[in-house]
Amino acid sequence: MITDTTMTALHAALSGLQQRQEVTADNIANIDTPGYLAGRVDFESTLRSELASGQSATVGDGAVRQSMDPTRTNGNNVNLDAEVTIATETGLRYQLALNALNGKYDVLRSALRTS
Amino acid sequence: MSTFDSFRIAGSGLYANRKWMDAVSDNITNINTATSTDQSAFQERMIVVEAADYGSGQGGVRVAGAEFGPAEGRLVHEPDDPLADADGYVRYPDIDLGDQMTQLIMAQRSYQANLASIERATDAYQAALQLGKG
Repeated sequence: MITDTTMTALHAALSGLQQRQEVTADNIANIDTPGYLAGRVDFESTLRSELASGQSATVGDGAVRQSMDPTRTNGNNVNLDAEVTIATETGLRYQLALNALNGKYDVLRSALRTS
Repeated sequence: MSTFDSFRIAGSGLYANRKWMDAVSDNITNINTATSTDQSAFQERMIVVEAADYGSGQGGVRVAGAEFGPAEGRLVHEPDDPLADADGYVRYPDIDLGDQMTQLIMAQRSYQANLASIERATDAYQAALQLGKG
């Protein structure tokens, strides 16, 4: 089979990281919205437990919860520095997952060539 | 959620902040607009925004409307003004320039932060489009 556990796991990671990027964009868009609480995405814990129990990863949306950071006087708790840090890390991890997936494809491609 | 939702979400932030900057520049433009005392003063405009709930499949921010500052403004004694009443008073809007400039900087910085989100999303999507090209 071409699609194996590694590829499904990477696919799930890409999907989760993209969702985190969206939620970060949402937080930045609402940086001045009164009463808005920053969203945080967790897909890693589900992915980890699925892989640990030998299941193949499910590709889909992770859990979004609200940040418990203290709010400003307008009830908003978005911090630009935290969001930019998350966005940078998410972007790099996305690239990393893409590189890993490309590596898998390279292996497959060479296997097809040597037959 | 659609594929390129990061763009739509950050775009809504750009729109809201542009509206905010529009309101601020309108306020600053009219900061010296005098009216006669039997009319209301130019009212400061404040943009009201609300979050479009991400969980409901939207995300981003929307402009919910505008609120207006006091119509009474402040009375200034300017007997030479053609709009002055019998006692020599005209009405000026009650707008603080320092406050407007602060709001302008806030809106400008938020606008830039949303643009940075768009750049990051572009990088990620570009890389994803190269997937499997070898």
